[in-house]
Amino acid sequence: MIEIILLVSSILFIFALKLFGRPSTAHRANTFAMLAMALAVFSAFNFDFSKYDSAFYITIVVSGLLGVLISKRVQMTQMPELVGLFNGFGGGASGAIAYVELSGNSLPISDVFVAIFSMVIGMFTFSGSLVAVMKLRGKLNNFSKKLADIFSVFLPTIIVIPAVLEMDDLLIEFIILVAIIAGVIRVAVIGGADMPVVIAFLNSLSGIAAMSAGFIVNSIILIVAGALVGASGIILTLLMCAAMNRTLLDVLKGGFGGTVINNEYEKDPVSTSPEDVAIQLSYAESVVIVPGYGMAVAQAQAAVKELTNTLKDKNIEVKFAIHPVAGRMPGHMNVLLAEVDIDYEDMFTLEDINSEFSSTDVVIVLGANDVVNPLARTDEDSPIYGMPILDVDLAKQVIVIKRSMSPGYAGIANPLFVNDNAKMLFADAKEGLENIIKSFELV
Amino acid sequence: MEATFLLTLLITFLASFIGYELISKIPQTLHTPLMSGSNAISGITLIAAILIYPEVGESQLLKIIVLIAIAFATLNIVGGFSVTGRILEMFKKND
Repeated sequence: MIEIILLVSSILFIFALKLFGRPSTAHRANTFAMLAMALAVFSAFNFDFSKYDSAFYITIVVSGLLGVLISKRVQMTQMPELVGLFNGFGGGASGAIAYVELSGNSLPISDVFVAIFSMVIGMFTFSGSLVAVMKLRGKLNNFSKKLADIFSVFLPTIIVIPAVLEMDDLLIEFIILVAIIAGVIRVAVIGGADMPVVIAFLNSLSGIAAMSAGFIVNSIILIVAGALVGASGIILTLLMCAAMNRTLLDVLKGGFGGTVINNEYEKDPVSTSPEDVAIQLSYAESVVIVPGYGMAVAQAQAAVKELTNTLKDKNIEVKFAIHPVAGRMPGHMNVLLAEVDIDYEDMFTLEDINSEFSSTDVVIVLGANDVVNPLARTDEDSPIYGMPILDVDLAKQVIVIKRSMSPGYAGIANPLFVNDNAKMLFADAKEGLENIIKSFELV
Repeated sequence: MEATFLLTLLITFLASFIGYELISKIPQTLHTPLMSGSNAISGITLIAAILIYPEVGESQLLKIIVLIAIAFATLNIVGGFSVTGRILEMFKKND
């Protein structure tokens, strides 16, 4: 009976992934996955609920309620933090289970290695994710890379300490300590805009930790589901790396970005006013908006929607061009736009829209910078050379809404800002858009 | 569910392969709910916690650690699915 429940559960998980392939069916995927999870968890009890005491049930109920509460309260702009936090919880849970198995039972030697693996990956994910969350909240500045490198080299050697001091029974605890410190250091050196890669990578690790926990307790459904999560995280990690033309190793090494390398311009940018932008837009037939992290920071989604409606009412075509690494996690911009009811049919990926820029009348760059920097195409010495960018400089006119000329994450000047077809509207993303909308009413 | 180690490895490989094939087809626009959804699924480690909880024995410390694992995993599952549902609902409206 249990076997049949688990079989159904595994099949449901796979169908859930299949349904996830299209926005219109994806909400059903979630229902399938929930059902699969409920069956899998139910089967673990093996129809014997009396083996569990009240502490067990209270923990489940309280943390379940807490989960609902958090998920209802969280803002869509906080999704990267939430996913980061949950990655940490998943990893921490698997790591804790591996620890208990290691210190409690006498495991067969093959399982001991799997358990140590699961514990190290789980604890690394746990501490790394918590640091990632702090970084996303802006509570942690870039850790000195040099110091981190020195730490990384000496860290494994402290495992020797219990052996030398003949404290063999503390060996497991020392391994945990090393894994936790390693997670902290590794993520601490990586800058904010590389977080999409880090979050996806930690997501994958939380799946791998769960999968290896499945090997220890001999649960095939745990292995299957863990492997699915591991695969999903790896795919997203590689996609994000490709979108930055960097390798995973290079991202994890850290030390990229965050410092100003060169912010000099050959000429002064042309600044414009909300009124002029409104006039410019009202003569356009096609408009493409390029959202970036600046849109999320300024909470400008509602203003974006309002401007979109205004333009569409004037029969102007509006599209959204979304770079894969825009924002702080994969798909971050899409969710923010969907939240304000912008149709996903109007959101375009880099491959789908790049050929259209040359025939676009006006491009609005909203809080994005490095992902529209033409140096990625032309300057071989640039740190972003080779990164696929949105070719907005090819459009007829470009409006950049940005507070100042300060460089983006890569720390380099963006020649787009002084291009002949570009004008700067110096404002916060939300305020700038609202002023444009107001000006429309006067036009 | 017991199986020989090789069979388990085969299943692991097949699951990873199917996962890779299906997930590669998921469009960029759904990448955030994909992450929050797979977050929820990684909470499946709750099963391991349920399996080992009755066998922890006398040690209060180990029991507390398993309870922490249970709390983390449950939070992950419930919170993850709930927030994913919320996001996907926003995409559904647009049909």
